[in-house]
Parts: sequence; structure tokens; C-alpha cells
Amino acid sequence: MMHCTMDDLLALRAGEASIWARRHVEDCAACRAELDAVYQRVAQLKALPALRSPRDRWPIVRDAVRVAQTRRRRTWGVWSLAAAAALAGVLLVPRFGDSGTLHAELSRAKDQSATLEDQLQNYDVDGRVLSGRTAAHVAELEDRIAVIDGDLARQAAPKAQAQDAELVKLWQQRVDLMRQLVNVRSTRARYVGL
Amino acid sequence: MTVALAVPDVLVARAQAGDEAALEALYRAFETPVYNLARRMLRNAEDAEDVLQETFLEVVKSIRDYRGEGYLWGWIRRIVATKALMRIRRDQLRATEPLGEEHGKPGMHVGANLDLERAFEHLTDTSRAVVWLHDVEGYTHEEIGELMGKSVSFSKSQLARAHARLRGLLGEGEGAQA
Repeated sequence: MMHCTMDDLLALRAGEASIWARRHVEDCAACRAELDAVYQRVAQLKALPALRSPRDRWPIVRDAVRVAQTRRRRTWGVWSLAAAAALAGVLLVPRFGDSGTLHAELSRAKDQSATLEDQLQNYDVDGRVLSGRTAAHVAELEDRIAVIDGDLARQAAPKAQAQDAELVKLWQQRVDLMRQLVNVRSTRARYVGL
Repeated sequence: MTVALAVPDVLVARAQAGDEAALEALYRAFETPVYNLARRMLRNAEDAEDVLQETFLEVVKSIRDYRGEGYLWGWIRRIVATKALMRIRRDQLRATEPLGEEHGKPGMHVGANLDLERAFEHLTDTSRAVVWLHDVEGYTHEEIGELMGKSVSFSKSQLARAHARLRGLLGEGEGAQA
């Protein structure tokens, strides 16, 4: 005697069985028992106890939330900084005319900063798993960069008495921190093999 | 495990505004169902923990895009399932194991009389994922096929093979289905 296959039984459960299977299961006690067993297995699966994470992952998620919030603030800061830098360029050109070295250093630091920003975009993928320590280090670096961006924006304000050497120093500090940030991100990217 | 978790709209709105306390409340509310789903789909507990973390990083990043269509658990659950399936695919690629290839743990044989939880652990990664998504979470074969990048019939055949294997591992039925 031909019995229902597992496909037939699952189709019966889903209400999609063939006419033959529907008729057969009415007459065949063995297949009815098999169908009951399927229902019971599924009920038992649903009743399995919930498994709980052995470790609390919230601190890592929270650190990522804070990093993202800092980054959003910094992004806004970068936009204002870009506007401020453009203004500073206008204000400082005459003075830099007398000081070619400082001008060259300032340009170099700005170029390096822009290059590092681009590199950072390659590694800066939201959702990548960071350890709590790495996320905290990234947050700290981003905070320090945000402070420097704030200083640069103030230096570039129309009434500020910006010292050329001070601007160069701030930009160079920014480049140094950006470099550290890129190193953290690229190391992490290599570590996870992405 | 059935999740019938209602989350107040105001909590979702606060989370969408980036309120850290609200985001933590969401994490606490869904931590266990997210981990449980990931752990049932994945063989490795650490992988399930990573999926828990990745899921909430995604939730934090994308919660602004949640428009309230359907219930929040449905939205989060899809993120969990997608991330868990990505891990299964990645592991299968690394092991050069074709998706859905049937195998059991070494030494495991039909009629081993395991309890259901242990028998379930002995299914292949793909079969386990299909069984859990379909039979427990209530996904349709169409939805599972879409999530896995496979056909509806693939999902159906995986489910049938998984049930046949469970039946064997549980030592059930000696008459029909032989």
C-alpha cells in the first residue's frame, strides 16, 4: 500500500494536498498518525524555551550610537568648517603672501586632511562590529577632531585675530588625529577580513 | 517561542529621534527574541551574539525608516533573519558546502531517539533555518525563498527533508514513511 510522503503530509498541513493524499489520510491510520506527529513536532518546536544571550551587547550598541551622534555633529562641523575655511582663505591670502612657507604648510595639511577623510569613508561602514574598546577609542578621536574643528571655525571667524602659525598647528593636529582614526578603522577592517 | 510584543508608539518615536534611553528600552524589549531567533538559526552561540549586535546596530541606524507598517517585531525579525542567513551563506562559502546539502553530525544515525531540541541541532544550517522560519516564526515559503535567494520549491523541499530527518532522529514511526 502506498503511503503519504513527507511532502504530502506537509501539504496536508498547509491545506495544499492533492485529492489522493486527502482521501488516503482519511483511510490510513498510519498516515494519520504521521500527520499528527508533524503537528506535535511543530507545537513542541514552538514551545521550546527562549534562549538568552549570555552577554549583554547593549554597551557596544550604545557606544556605536554615541559614535554616530558624534559623527553627525562632526559632519555638520565639517560643513561649517568648510565655509569658515573658505572665508579664512579670503582673509589670509594677503598675509600668506609674505609667508610662503606657512601657506604651503597650511595647504599641505588641508590636502592631507581631505585625503584622510576620503580614506575614512572606505572603512567607515555603519553596522560593522566594533569591540567596546575600539568603539570608545574611535569616539574619543572623533571628539578630539570635533574640538579642533570648533577651534578652526572660531579662528576663521571674521573678527578673530588668526595667527597663521596657530592655524597651521591646528590643521596639523587635525591631520594627526585623522591619521589615527584611519589606522583604527583600517586595522579593524583587516581584522574582520572585509 | 511566540513573541507578542507591543511597543508604545511614543517609545518608537523617541528612538527615532535618537533618544538613547528609548533605544535601550527597545534593545531590552527585543534582546531575547532576537537572540533566540538567531541562535535557533545558527549553530554557534557567538555567531548568534554577533547577529544580536549587528541587528541592533542596524535598528539604531534605520529606525527612522520604520514607518509603522506592520508590527515592529516583524520589521526587526526580518533584519535578524537576513543577517543570520548571510552568516550561513558565508560559512557555507568558506566550507565550500553547497547550500542545503544534507548531512548530520558524525556518528548520528536515524532512530537515535534524541529529544527534539537536540535533534533540531543536528539538522543542517539551511534546514534548521527553514524549519524555524516556517514552522515557528510563520514565514511563508515565498518569503523564505526570497530571503534565501532561492525558489519556493527549494524552501518546501528543505522543510520536507528536515521533517523526515527529525522524524528519524526522534525514532518516530516505523510503519508508514519508511
